[in-house]
Amino acid sequence: MAYNKPIPPQGQHTKPFWEGAKAGKLMLPRCRDCNRVHWYPRLICPFCHSTNLEWIEGSGKGRVHTFAVQHRAFGGWAEEVPYVTAYIDLDEGDRMMTVLRGVDATKPEEIEIGARVEVEFEQANDDTSIPFWRVVDQTGE
Amino acid sequence: MGKPNLSNAAAIVGAAESDVIGYPEDLTGHKVTSLQHHIQAIKNVSVQTGIPISEIQGIFSAGWSGELAEHLGVTPRYLDTTSVGGCSFQIHVHHALAAIHAGIIDIALVSHGEAGWSYRGGGGGGGGGRGQVSPGAEMTAAYGTFGAPSQYAHSMVRHFHRFGTTQEDFAHIAVVTRDWAQLNPRAVMYGKKQSPFGGPITVQDVLDARIIAWPLTLYHCCLVSDHGGAVIVARPEIARSLGTNPVWVSGAGESMGHQNILEMEDFTATSASRSAATAYKMAGLGPEDMEMAMIYDSFTLTAGITAEMLGLAPRGEGYTLWKNGDAAPGGRLPINTNGGGLSFNHSGMYGMQLLVEAYRQLSRTAEDGVNGIEGKQTEATACVVNGTGGTLSTTGTLVLTSDDR
Repeated sequence: MAYNKPIPPQGQHTKPFWEGAKAGKLMLPRCRDCNRVHWYPRLICPFCHSTNLEWIEGSGKGRVHTFAVQHRAFGGWAEEVPYVTAYIDLDEGDRMMTVLRGVDATKPEEIEIGARVEVEFEQANDDTSIPFWRVVDQTGE
Repeated sequence: MGKPNLSNAAAIVGAAESDVIGYPEDLTGHKVTSLQHHIQAIKNVSVQTGIPISEIQGIFSAGWSGELAEHLGVTPRYLDTTSVGGCSFQIHVHHALAAIHAGIIDIALVSHGEAGWSYRGGGGGGGGGRGQVSPGAEMTAAYGTFGAPSQYAHSMVRHFHRFGTTQEDFAHIAVVTRDWAQLNPRAVMYGKKQSPFGGPITVQDVLDARIIAWPLTLYHCCLVSDHGGAVIVARPEIARSLGTNPVWVSGAGESMGHQNILEMEDFTATSASRSAATAYKMAGLGPEDMEMAMIYDSFTLTAGITAEMLGLAPRGEGYTLWKNGDAAPGGRLPINTNGGGLSFNHSGMYGMQLLVEAYRQLSRTAEDGVNGIEGKQTEATACVVNGTGGTLSTTGTLVLTSDDR
């Protein structure tokens, strides 16, 4: 079935991320001066204000920082309610948003903050593969 | 009118442009975005002056101030995003002069970036358009969130995790705020006659209401309604000359944490801790001196955690003010005496409703005419007012005092 949910517009500052996603790689921006990874991608390091930035391939591993269960949605997402949205603490640092996979949205009390997650990619169209995160170990913090 | 001596109160200490201006796509083969123009110019003026970006205290731009602060990773205590066309930047300098003269900030950034050529037709130029979507929006667009409830719910879950709180704890905020609405005939949820959904509610009603974004049920969420409001602020001589009771702006502060909730460092805390600290310090008063509070309650969660940020309750225990009756009619610390965004009115940007009600309470006009029925007037002489904007993003705090304090 064709992907029927919103597909992000791609700006010119994020090309390496979207190119990486098509190849199944989670590309992350890192500052060459302070070595910290930041998310979302910037034109300037939000920690030390250097513009000496690079893209690295991330491990694709992290933990659930917090989550919510969406019961009210529109468009393609309306067909999937309830589903779990979450923020992921990347092993490399900083935080990414996702729709969480590998959990039961009807039992939110069983979803653990701190659960280990791994990234996977879903092809939305020829130009866009979207990262989603899946719980691989339910053990929380 | 008195003459404020703003003359020479501040100087422009540096000025720079973005790296490539004019028709960059013709020269370099690729477009430059409005955001790029901003960041390059800011970096260049920082280098020129030797003032680190981290020391910027106020950001002035035509509509970009929140996004720029977030992109730069700074949390200014003065935000001005006045956008009134091509003269905006002269006005920004005027506002910065006043802010510096007043001692609120020492260093102000005025920034502009506009890809008027590169993104022509795409909203890039000719009057404040922004061109491409921000990278933050790009990286969250795919993930099925729709409006404020879908995002604020993440904050509540983190609060549960960190402090052991529950849906029921926050439900008390909805119940007590509804009780206040029963004293305000203008409230959307005033009585059954007003609305089939009006009248008092119980904790069980809140828990049983339909789920919008777990753990937020419908009654954890504010209304969506129509409202207009206005206030006039004037110098003391004028305030004294009118036949009304003045309410004094004893303290004021502002701050921001982020624009996109993706960037929220601690999902259980807002920048109100900073904006309130500034406001209390200016007033020479503290949370222990406040006799009522008007707190933006977009959700029960917002009111609960903001009470913590304002120092009205210990961390993790904001909800107890409502649960133990302190915030209720007749309580020690009345909160949201108009019935709040939860049960009075919430037009989308509710901060004006907070101001109107705080004025009515402190000027002793809360029971006049359409403003309320008996029992709504408190005896408060000091009120902390806190607005929260965006997605738990930006905060403005006022400490207001009555004339008889």
